[in-house]
Amino acid sequence: MPRPKTVLLAVLTVLLAVLAFRFIRSGGREDIRPAEDVGAPASGLSEAEARNLPRRTVTVFFARENDDRLVGEKREIPADGVPDREARAILDELLRGSLEGNLSPLPPGTKLEQVFVAKNGTAYVDFSRDLVARHPSGTSAETATIFAVVNSLTANLASVKNVLILVDGEERETLSGHLRLNRPLLPNMGLIAKN
Amino acid sequence: MSRSQHSRVAAAGAAVLAALVLLPAPVPAAADGGQKTRTIVIDPGHGGLDVGAKGKFGSLEKDITLAVALRLKGLIEQNLAYRVVLTREKDLDVSLENRSAVANNNDAGLFLSIHTNGSFRKNAQGAETFFLSLNASDEETRKLAYLENSSAALEGRISAEAKDDVTMILWDMAQAAHIRQSARLAEEIQKELNQPPLGIENRGIKQAPFKVLTGVACPAVLVEMAFISSPEEEQKLIKDEFQNQIAQALFRGIVRYLRLFPQ
Ligand SMILES: [Zn+2]
Repeated sequence: MPRPKTVLLAVLTVLLAVLAFRFIRSGGREDIRPAEDVGAPASGLSEAEARNLPRRTVTVFFARENDDRLVGEKREIPADGVPDREARAILDELLRGSLEGNLSPLPPGTKLEQVFVAKNGTAYVDFSRDLVARHPSGTSAETATIFAVVNSLTANLASVKNVLILVDGEERETLSGHLRLNRPLLPNMGLIAKN
Repeated sequence: MSRSQHSRVAAAGAAVLAALVLLPAPVPAAADGGQKTRTIVIDPGHGGLDVGAKGKFGSLEKDITLAVALRLKGLIEQNLAYRVVLTREKDLDVSLENRSAVANNNDAGLFLSIHTNGSFRKNAQGAETFFLSLNASDEETRKLAYLENSSAALEGRISAEAKDDVTMILWDMAQAAHIRQSARLAEEIQKELNQPPLGIENRGIKQAPFKVLTGVACPAVLVEMAFISSPEEEQKLIKDEFQNQIAQALFRGIVRYLRLFPQ
């Protein structure tokens, strides 16, 4: 018969092992998302400093030419670990347009005014009026625009759960009369091309 | 507003709320001997300053949607014992909220919004039928859950401000209770749009968070007849013959649906 003290020791050992295992596992998971690992300073990054940051690969979504699906293009952005700045870097890549012959789902001339990722997981993205004024209108076009933005942010930033798109600092009911914009939108991964 | 007025309004609001919360689950509407007002609401997309999508040859979405809606109204009134109400009969601006309100105020049994599609791709073509996707954010889900849990204790307990908030969300989500039937309606309509005389590519049925559908308290779909952004389909869309064929396909889809769910 083991003595009570031995039993206690065994229980404690097992408990410790479980905790250690959990700790390692959660650490491992965060490695997949360097956004949260990199201990970059929280503010005041110059361009030069940004260039010295480790970079990470993100997937930015564009509209495919031969059907209405979204297709990802890999881009490199500075992995500075600040959601607002990484969100901006991702959207800047989207605004730069496709480098692989896909269609840009944002009207030409659209500017990104502000990006802010709230603690509750909502990303607020404010575009210039061009997003509306130069939009071709129609459900398919609206869908491509909205979900290229929403999917690009949610797919690359663990801290973004949904996205509220603003135009010229204001909430809008819709972009051009179809999909509602005045509530945060969840990603629609079903729109992404399978091949 | 006086105090008594205010409390009366609040009481009415609470009653509406309670009714909404306690609404039965979305089972197919039973044939109740035609006691209900039999109304179909057709919504010609866009109008007035909102021209919708534009074609290369200058056609406007708002004109085509109205032309087809008027033809469909004629077909239903000639052949079925239903009243048809259009959300607009002319080239007018009507807000999306007012379009859903037309359905709810007329106790509609069916709501059909008609559009022509537009894409960044010039060669995008085809017809598709949508019903609402419930893309509720966590916040909304939480509020709805709170509401469901506390519905019994609702009356007089929550502040007017919170009530407004909750009422708004409920109305905003009115379509949630009709999703299954809306899916069937979309299916039946899309089947007919896919029939030979029309010869348009079948893009199937889909779900999306359409603003105009969210507040409609009856089965509701949105039809994209063809792409006005495709020069080829724009030429079809402006032809009388094509508009008649589309209206007939929509009519047959509605008839199929009404056979499944007699009202
Ligand atoms: Zn439209």
